[in-house]
Amino acid sequence: MRRYTEHPFWQAVGILLVAYVVVVWVVPLLPGSAIVPKSVVLQYMATVLVGVLIYVSDSEERWQRFKEPITAMLVEPRLRPVRSGVLVVVPVLVGLVAYGQVQTTVAAPPNLRSIHPAPPTEITFRGKAISLTGLENPLRQHPDSLPAYLADGKRVYYQNCLPCHGDHLDGQGHFASGFNPLPANFQDNGTIAQLTESFVFWRIAKGGPGLPREGTPWNSAMPKWEDFLTEREIWSVILFLYDQTGWTPRTWEKTGTGDGGRGTGHD
Amino acid sequence: MIDALLALVLVAPPVPRPSFLVPVQDTTKGKAVYVKWCAGCHGDGGAGDGAAAAHMLPRPRNFTGAIYKIRTTASGQLPTDADLLHAIDEGLPGSAMPGWRGRLSDAERRDAMSYIKTFSSFFADTSQHVVALKFSSPPGGGTGTEALKVGRQFYDSIGCRKCHGDQGRGDGPSAPTLKDDAGFPIFAADLHQSWRFRGGGTVEDIYRRLRTGLDGTPMPSFSDLVDQKFLTDQELWRLAQYVRSLSPAKPPEVRDVIHAPQIAGAVPASPDDSAWARVDRYWFPLVGQVIHKERAFAPAVSGVWVQAVHDSTTLALRVSWDDRTQSPDTAWLGFEQRLLETVAGDDSASLRAERWPDQLAVQFPHRLAGGAGGMERPYFLMGGPSDPVYQWRWTSQPRRAVAGLARGIDRFDTLPGTPAAQAVHDHGEWRVVLTRALAPSDTANEVPFDAGRAIPVAFFAWDGSSGEHGSRMAVSTWYFLALDRPTPPSVFISPVLAMLVTLGLGLVVVRRAQRRGTTR
Amino acid sequence: MRKLGVVAVGAAALGLTLAAWTRQPSPTQGGATISGKMKFTGTKPAMPKIDMSEEPKCKAKYQGVPTDEAVVVNANGTLGNVFVYAKSGLPASYQAAAPSGDVTLDQDGCRYHPHVLGILVGQKLAIKNSDGILHNIKAKGVKNRPFNISQPTNMTSERTFSVPEVMVPLECNVHGWMHAWLAVLPHPFFAVSGADGSFSIKGLPPGTYTIEAWHEKYGTQTATVTVAGSETKTADFSFAAK
Repeated sequence: MRRYTEHPFWQAVGILLVAYVVVVWVVPLLPGSAIVPKSVVLQYMATVLVGVLIYVSDSEERWQRFKEPITAMLVEPRLRPVRSGVLVVVPVLVGLVAYGQVQTTVAAPPNLRSIHPAPPTEITFRGKAISLTGLENPLRQHPDSLPAYLADGKRVYYQNCLPCHGDHLDGQGHFASGFNPLPANFQDNGTIAQLTESFVFWRIAKGGPGLPREGTPWNSAMPKWEDFLTEREIWSVILFLYDQTGWTPRTWEKTGTGDGGRGTGHD
Repeated sequence: MIDALLALVLVAPPVPRPSFLVPVQDTTKGKAVYVKWCAGCHGDGGAGDGAAAAHMLPRPRNFTGAIYKIRTTASGQLPTDADLLHAIDEGLPGSAMPGWRGRLSDAERRDAMSYIKTFSSFFADTSQHVVALKFSSPPGGGTGTEALKVGRQFYDSIGCRKCHGDQGRGDGPSAPTLKDDAGFPIFAADLHQSWRFRGGGTVEDIYRRLRTGLDGTPMPSFSDLVDQKFLTDQELWRLAQYVRSLSPAKPPEVRDVIHAPQIAGAVPASPDDSAWARVDRYWFPLVGQVIHKERAFAPAVSGVWVQAVHDSTTLALRVSWDDRTQSPDTAWLGFEQRLLETVAGDDSASLRAERWPDQLAVQFPHRLAGGAGGMERPYFLMGGPSDPVYQWRWTSQPRRAVAGLARGIDRFDTLPGTPAAQAVHDHGEWRVVLTRALAPSDTANEVPFDAGRAIPVAFFAWDGSSGEHGSRMAVSTWYFLALDRPTPPSVFISPVLAMLVTLGLGLVVVRRAQRRGTTR
Repeated sequence: MRKLGVVAVGAAALGLTLAAWTRQPSPTQGGATISGKMKFTGTKPAMPKIDMSEEPKCKAKYQGVPTDEAVVVNANGTLGNVFVYAKSGLPASYQAAAPSGDVTLDQDGCRYHPHVLGILVGQKLAIKNSDGILHNIKAKGVKNRPFNISQPTNMTSERTFSVPEVMVPLECNVHGWMHAWLAVLPHPFFAVSGADGSFSIKGLPPGTYTIEAWHEKYGTQTATVTVAGSETKTADFSFAAK
């Protein structure tokens, strides 16, 4: 056993194996990461290989020892079966990879996540002009009534938003599987946590159809909620979203008026 | 060795934990968790009447009666704490109840569970013996023909088909009369969709439901039958194994692209052509249309299976989906009426049951986008005024398909050309084959089916006997259809070349190494 | 010797008194009877026909087309299937005798026999399937725990009820028309009006009782009746068609 663990060739093989296992199976387990695409795996493995080669060729003695098993495999008569095996397996693998490259299969076009464009400065809500710039949630000016507004916001959420955005407000409602892009995850720090309430009001009131055409292709299923909800109901549900998730909305003072409320996220 | 140890751990009888190890259940903290995360559906008083409840079927659990479907205890008994926690942790598949593991902490879930128990005095009643039944392990060979034959025999002899139907799709003669204890209409489970079983879809889960029944629903417990030796435990397992065999071995995975292989000879135009058995099928989940008035909060069709083939001139698309009824079906009018009265919709929704047909729509973009990598596509919900979609619409009565352009959910303009359609309704399943020439006859309006590219496609389904019509339907988002080209022989040239070159290089390396070895 | 005798008599007397004190004579059974008739006024409602074509075995047990049993108006114009019981009035010290024997509920011809019945707390309900086809028997009590048993063959299942409850609805979901009503009581002072519309509650201890008459469609009515000794009093009830 020691013979192997101290031998540079088998050390190199071990390092490559460990690297492969880590990249393919361990990395996806880390919170917030996903399965590593094949091309990226290839890059990582190439990097590791180069590192290993630099290490083993660093000293002449190590390099000689490293080469021993390879030379033995190529030369030694007793290793003839291994030699033949390698001569068959390597070309077959190369052939398979080459086939995979030339064979064309149709794949779904990439789905870019749409970035929220800048909101308009003014929208027309049920015939009434509302200026979004500098707009704060008007309900917050009545601290005494906030519990009542919150309760109403909760009702509105559960009766309208729940099927897609879910019980936990994480975009995993029982209808979420039917939509692409997936419904917004309000628990994520990249959605409402980055936005002003006026921006959220615009997204709710105008929904997917209200996204400007010059944006990247949008396929948002977000309804135009002005067809269903009153202005006060929308402001109430916004209160609820922030209260339930614990986020605080961005305010105009902090961000300035220029691109206030602009942020990333998707519907 | 490790396996043996593991097995030992798994079969070891549960040792009662010393009381100081039993986690404390804090109903005060539990109330805070409940009010924040559960009350929206289950109601502040636990009566299953929260704000969202009226839009749901099945309804959120009413905790005041302490009647629970998914238990490990005998019919009518209270659930164990572990049963309640399991439902909270994993959720109830096929319903709106999500799994809360990973969303709430262990302590929060446990506290909420203990608070839920305070809604009924039964849990405080010490005369209630809450004991989990002892379940045996499944006998082997459960997927074999013999075992399934035995299971099927008992499926028939103990009357499962009365509600679940001859082929298990919930279309039995008693199915249209079923109500739960609260009087709400309830569907006999579709046994072909085990991934939507509330208590889980494994053979063990199914066996347990047979033993315990689903309290509060028409599903009874079969334990008396086993206790009185009318049925052996093994036979009940066989029944569970048979029921499990009706669903795919694994829950269907959604794949984005439907590959339509090119076949020699004409495409199968009949839904029951044996050629379909050799074609890969793709599952697409459908969800309620909750975007436009009137909305559908509890759609009947949970998804469609799609298969496609072409023969270089014609495309055939087979869409199959489970639907208990061949609508319009007068036997289900009463059930439809109860559904309409139970599931809240928008104010404008009609509450009168009518004889609507079943419908299916298959949708493609009006024009295939060239640029932007084909990402540009119309609004998935039937396009818009300036961005129409090309649709095939099939109805069960009259039994026909038409093609047309939809410009939004309210506008559909029929085109003269129609796809050929053949449909079969068989024991709770629709199988519809739609065929059309790849090259459109009307190039201005009909989408061409070019091989070798991803063509966006979406599906919509209506169950007339659930009162679905118009915008009340089940919808999918965009997926893709790809007509595969047969692999040209040229594709094989470069791999073979690569192999030969590698082999040659290998031989050279070996030769050189050996020569050097001998000369050294 | 005489002294000893006095002591003995005194001890015996004391013992007797003690015994009497610890075990008061229980008025379990009195001798009074309350009887009466369930009158019915108005037009006899037409009960919906039951389509048993899915169950030929049951259908064969009827000459004509069976009808729903929610309202049974007898030939003499009285109302059957009315449950009558002493709702209150028993002495606080009253203790029911231990229930003896089973109460049988038979599923025959895809109907329950009897349609309305009473049972004592703790007494066994024997649920019998005489049809030999699949029935499920579901008890939908609120105070008692529910149950739902599958009986796909000729068999008998036994269940008991732990607390008084009027009524526990019983139903079969395979045959949506099958309903029965079970009253669980802590005492045996109940009756069901029969084919002549009469009822009789016997063996009542003396006292003033609230007698309730319960009908599944026409609701409840009460009467107050005082009985003493072994007398018989009459309490008639009248239900009007709705």
